[in-house]
Amino acid sequence: MKTKRIFFAALGSILWFASGLSYAQQEVKVGVLIPLSGGLAVIGENLQMAHDFAVKEINEAGGIKSLKGAKIKLIYADTRGDSKIGMSEAERLILREGVVAIVGAFQSSVSYTSTEVAEKHQVPYLVPNSLMDAITERGFKYTFRVERKGSLWAKDQIDFIVDMGKATGKPAKTIGVVYENTDMGQTIAKGIRKYAPEKGLTIVLDEGYPQRTADMTPVVLKTKRANPDVIILNSYISDAILLIRTIADQRVNPIAFLGSSSGYSDPSFIKEVGKLAEYFSDLTEWSTDLTHTPLVQEKNAAYKKWNKDHRDFNGGAAFCYASTYILYEALEKAASYDPKRIRDAFAAVKITKGPAMLIPWTPIEFDSEGQAEGARMIVVQYREGLRRTIWPFPIQTIKPIWPVPKWEERK
Amino acid sequence: MDRSILVPTRKSRTEMLSFIEATINGILMGGLYGFIAVSLSLIFGVAKIVNFAHGAFLMVAMFLVYWILVLLKIDPYVSAVLAAVFLFFFGYFFQNVFIEPILRREKETAPLTVILLTSGLMLVLENVALLLFGADYRMVKTSYTGKVWDIGGLLIVQPRLIGFILSLFLIFLTEIYLRKTNLGRAIRATSQDREAARLMGIDDYKVYKVVFGIGSTMLGFAASFLVPFYFIHPAIGELFVLKSFVIVVLGGLGSISGAFLAGIIVGLIESLGAQFINSAMVESLIFIIFIACLVVRPTGLLGKQRE
Repeated sequence: MKTKRIFFAALGSILWFASGLSYAQQEVKVGVLIPLSGGLAVIGENLQMAHDFAVKEINEAGGIKSLKGAKIKLIYADTRGDSKIGMSEAERLILREGVVAIVGAFQSSVSYTSTEVAEKHQVPYLVPNSLMDAITERGFKYTFRVERKGSLWAKDQIDFIVDMGKATGKPAKTIGVVYENTDMGQTIAKGIRKYAPEKGLTIVLDEGYPQRTADMTPVVLKTKRANPDVIILNSYISDAILLIRTIADQRVNPIAFLGSSSGYSDPSFIKEVGKLAEYFSDLTEWSTDLTHTPLVQEKNAAYKKWNKDHRDFNGGAAFCYASTYILYEALEKAASYDPKRIRDAFAAVKITKGPAMLIPWTPIEFDSEGQAEGARMIVVQYREGLRRTIWPFPIQTIKPIWPVPKWEERK
Repeated sequence: MDRSILVPTRKSRTEMLSFIEATINGILMGGLYGFIAVSLSLIFGVAKIVNFAHGAFLMVAMFLVYWILVLLKIDPYVSAVLAAVFLFFFGYFFQNVFIEPILRREKETAPLTVILLTSGLMLVLENVALLLFGADYRMVKTSYTGKVWDIGGLLIVQPRLIGFILSLFLIFLTEIYLRKTNLGRAIRATSQDREAARLMGIDDYKVYKVVFGIGSTMLGFAASFLVPFYFIHPAIGELFVLKSFVIVVLGGLGSISGAFLAGIIVGLIESLGAQFINSAMVESLIFIIFIACLVVRPTGLLGKQRE
């Protein structure tokens, strides 16, 4: 009995000593929730790389100065793409790992549930990539989102279609929406249903499919029969690859294809579908040919050199990179390890310079709901394997092809 | 629906073609679903083992075919034989090393531990693949990838048709094997009554190993048929596993032709159903028909009635 007590006393003092040590090392622990296994792992790994790059830069530049040069330490938690696992992992990050903030969770459905956990424990949660409107519409005090709201993505897509029709004299009259049937896809589809009729466009196909569909042929055949002028697609990665291949196989020939970032902007998409992606347009957050700041070229080049695959930033990764800098600004401003203080700092950020400005609007600040004000989007078109900006027209870097060539006529 | 279907216009022609295409696609893809499920059905039917690592086996086979193609430049339809042989031994040893000790110790016909074991091994296999090959989606380019037969506007994807025909042929061979050879008869005897089979001098543990091997062989072939038109990924099994379980029960546990037939039915529901209702609803439609079938025939389509 006595030996047991001594053992626990010893263990206790060791733990106490160890905790003192970690304090001496001065780390700010931040949790990152992303899918790192399962079907979306490839997207998660891409985002992880961007976070790591930003943290490397921040720590090499001296860490958080207002916290005596404390280093940021990211603790990754795998959501497996599941909203329930996202919740339990958020709980673990807060209670077991003691993180002062969380960044994540890529998928709308996972962000939606895991932000609830952070709200309960009063830990700030920064959302770089999820678009579901409701994430910042629940009156939460601890959720901050950089991404533009999904319903406004739909509005941008409709505006783009109308603008292209005017510019080329070949207006689209009908559209079809094909989307993965979770929160991300449904948000955009809902927006399309709202904004398309306002601009005189008829929706001839409104098709949600389960994300783990093994065969896309049925959906594609249905799309072919509906024969819309523009097909708006919204997918994660495996479904994006299968869809575009099946569309090519079945020779579906609309005036244009318009994606909604996510799977269509992932580096593995272009790698796997290759030439089939040519002329495919994509509404996205960001592109490497943006010119609003020289930082775009500079940081992308540095990132490309640093990462093992030598890949460019895509929209999602650029936002994760910039979001890490928003987190950095908030920590710097808070000058505290207290999540509540950091939350107040997030609410008060107003960023106009630094690497966070990779995000193409200024200043970066959050409204009372925690939504980034001024968030806006661009449209890119795949041209010879590169994502070139085509919309809004003033920042266009290449003349868009509209209508796209028929599959039978492509080489 | 609009009335133009009744009038032979250009539009109605494309409509008709599209429904015929959906039917053909349902049969072709369903045949593959069925072929993938055969392995699960066989192993369950004979050894009463629910192999949750089924999808992971398929993944292993697909990576094997992929690497043979990339490194040795051997066509998937040729390397199918290699993959099948490899998968036979893979399954054989899987049963020998992991499952048999449990069966011998627990003395039950279907111990719960086996379920935990196979689902655990699924996670191990998936994560090892993730570690070794990364989370990238991989696709191969063969001379027939993306090749489509155009029969008067009717588009048929070549690798799907080839895969279907070969699956059908292999199902036929397996049925003959189980009926005509001694080992085949031993397998069927064990599946009917393990104790009685043992009393007749059949080495039931050996039968289990062989069955696990044959089941895995099927997945080796299935992988080779999928690779030319599908992607390869550590988590690919997840796409087929749930469907496989439905197919196995629908077709009748342990029935090979039943699984194949049930696969085609599921494929048809999936493909044709999506033409009339939202594809997000098709999954539930599959389960509704599945439940309805079980109410009418609790043992599945071709399952044997038990007293």
